[in-house]
Amino acid sequence: MQLTSETLENAIEQLAKLPGMGRKTAQRMAMHLLKQSDDRVNQLAQSLIDLKTKIKYCSVCYNVTDSDPCPVCTNAKRKTGTICVVEDPKDVYVIEKMNEFRGRYHVLGGVISPMENVGPNDIRIKELIARINDEAEGVEELILALNPDAEGEATSFYINKMVKPFGVRVTRIAHGIPVGSELEFIDEATLNRAFAGRVTF
Amino acid sequence: MNVSGLVLTCFRNHKETAVTWAPRLNVITGPNGAGKTNLIDAIHYLCMSRSFVATSDQYVVTSGEKSFTVEARFSGAIRSKPFDVRCTYSRGEGKRIYVNDSPLDKLSDLIGRVPVVVLSPDDKKLTREGPAERRSFLDGFIAQLSSAYLRDLIDYRRVLKQRNALLADYRMSRDVMQAMIEPWDLQLATLGSRIVHTRAQTLLRFTTYLEKGYETIAGIGHKPTFAYKTFINTVYSDMQINDYSQEGGADPDSSAPLSDFTIAGGPDSATADTRAGNTEGVAAGEDGVSGGKQAVWTPEEIQQSYAELLQSGFDKDRERQQTTIGPHRDDIVFYLNDLELRKFGSQGQHRLFALALKLAQRDYYTDELGDMPIFLLDDVFGDLDPSKTQVLVHMLLEQSGQVFITAANRNLFTSMFTPQKGMDALYRVADGQVTPLSE
Ligand SMILES: [Zn+2]
Repeated sequence: MQLTSETLENAIEQLAKLPGMGRKTAQRMAMHLLKQSDDRVNQLAQSLIDLKTKIKYCSVCYNVTDSDPCPVCTNAKRKTGTICVVEDPKDVYVIEKMNEFRGRYHVLGGVISPMENVGPNDIRIKELIARINDEAEGVEELILALNPDAEGEATSFYINKMVKPFGVRVTRIAHGIPVGSELEFIDEATLNRAFAGRVTF
Repeated sequence: MNVSGLVLTCFRNHKETAVTWAPRLNVITGPNGAGKTNLIDAIHYLCMSRSFVATSDQYVVTSGEKSFTVEARFSGAIRSKPFDVRCTYSRGEGKRIYVNDSPLDKLSDLIGRVPVVVLSPDDKKLTREGPAERRSFLDGFIAQLSSAYLRDLIDYRRVLKQRNALLADYRMSRDVMQAMIEPWDLQLATLGSRIVHTRAQTLLRFTTYLEKGYETIAGIGHKPTFAYKTFINTVYSDMQINDYSQEGGADPDSSAPLSDFTIAGGPDSATADTRAGNTEGVAAGEDGVSGGKQAVWTPEEIQQSYAELLQSGFDKDRERQQTTIGPHRDDIVFYLNDLELRKFGSQGQHRLFALALKLAQRDYYTDELGDMPIFLLDDVFGDLDPSKTQVLVHMLLEQSGQVFITAANRNLFTSMFTPQKGMDALYRVADGQVTPLSE
């Protein structure tokens, strides 16, 4: 086949690299963008550039932020002694929306996954330990809020083991029954795990 | 359970087919390649989210089309109200399952809603081929009864993959790897022990069902038994829980990748006992094996033992770059009259044994769930001698469960029974067209 537009082909190739995007979808998207007004496409392009140039990672907690350190880390009203460990910035977003947690965060930027060649050194565990070691931080408790899947569990276990010598309290969020759901509608598997992970009242 | 209607769109050679089923016996006849099996495979899709014939969904789409849809209404004692299940697949977008028009998060959420038992020509692999066939039978069996088991199984496979990926990292030093592997060992032990415990519990109860199933089809005077082989050396009732040790090259399986390991060890107390009895050809029913009920290990005991085995087997696993111990290597050894079926069984015995296993599965479900599963019999009467066919058809007519039978030869059935109006139905399939036959 003879390419009629290398520019188009290049755009398709770039789009196809995005997660969840097949080549077919990328083609459709490129054709769609081609039909849009210059203004709309420029806005999209600019927002993508801003994403990389304007957004920074907080040098304390590694959450995404426009200003470093991030508003959570600089907020004097938040408890400094409690750190909630999450996988990525979208988890911070979810927990913040709940408006309940008043401590600070640590964003790992991933979970351990040998299949994807991600080991403990590829996520921010070293940085977490540095924070625990930093007396100015005064870390007393870590709350592990990772996903209850195989990789999240492995990462939680690993962190717990690594920080144990430092004498911080390590807790983890309970997983199991979604709030607001009636017991009888919970599937058996979820219920089993909820029981296995029960906490003292 | 009952399926009352079925609509297929672009499903193999069924461009657009709608069928209304009878509540008991549904006999589907027609020439080979007419689309008989496709009809019951469509039902299977709505029970297990996949084909029992095709290896990939894309082969199921009518050639030249983009997607297929199957849909049916189910009812039964398990749920209070009838419900609709729809399965769609399209190239590029994959498979989706809807129950009453709302999509399921995971395909595995479907399993167990409509329990199904399948008997097909493929079942000959069950007693003749490698352990993977029997594990998949056992897993499918239990998964339909317990969503907790299914989830453990899915998680176990995931953790196993991760652990094996770690073991395959040749750049990593032994000490680092040993530290890295711990979080995976821990999860493997938790999930694996629950899996083994559930398998053992289920198989323990399965024994009497198998005996009854074999008796139904072959008459009295036979003794079908089995041994559950797992990594723990102990005895569950009259089931022998073997270790993996297979010394020498006498085993026909020794070339198979799944059995080329030596020993899994086990708690000292149990090791000596089973080791002594664990030689080639030991039948599950032999004295000292079947004698006395032994306590089934608790999941905690299995977990502890498994965790220890993973630790002690670390160097071997590292050398082989894969996990050599765990329920992913379990097997079931079948015996007929104390002789190992795989080695000594005749063709006829294999056939009857597979049939007995499925009849036993059906009875087990019925007792466990208080409702009969849907029973799919694909092209199994061609091989069976007429007297056995007669026995089977009579048994099916005596029960209330819904059954689907495909066969090339209609006369075989018309000579055996008269369909009862409102209960049974005969269908003829030709070129993807289904015609109900009124008697
Ligand atoms: Zn911050």
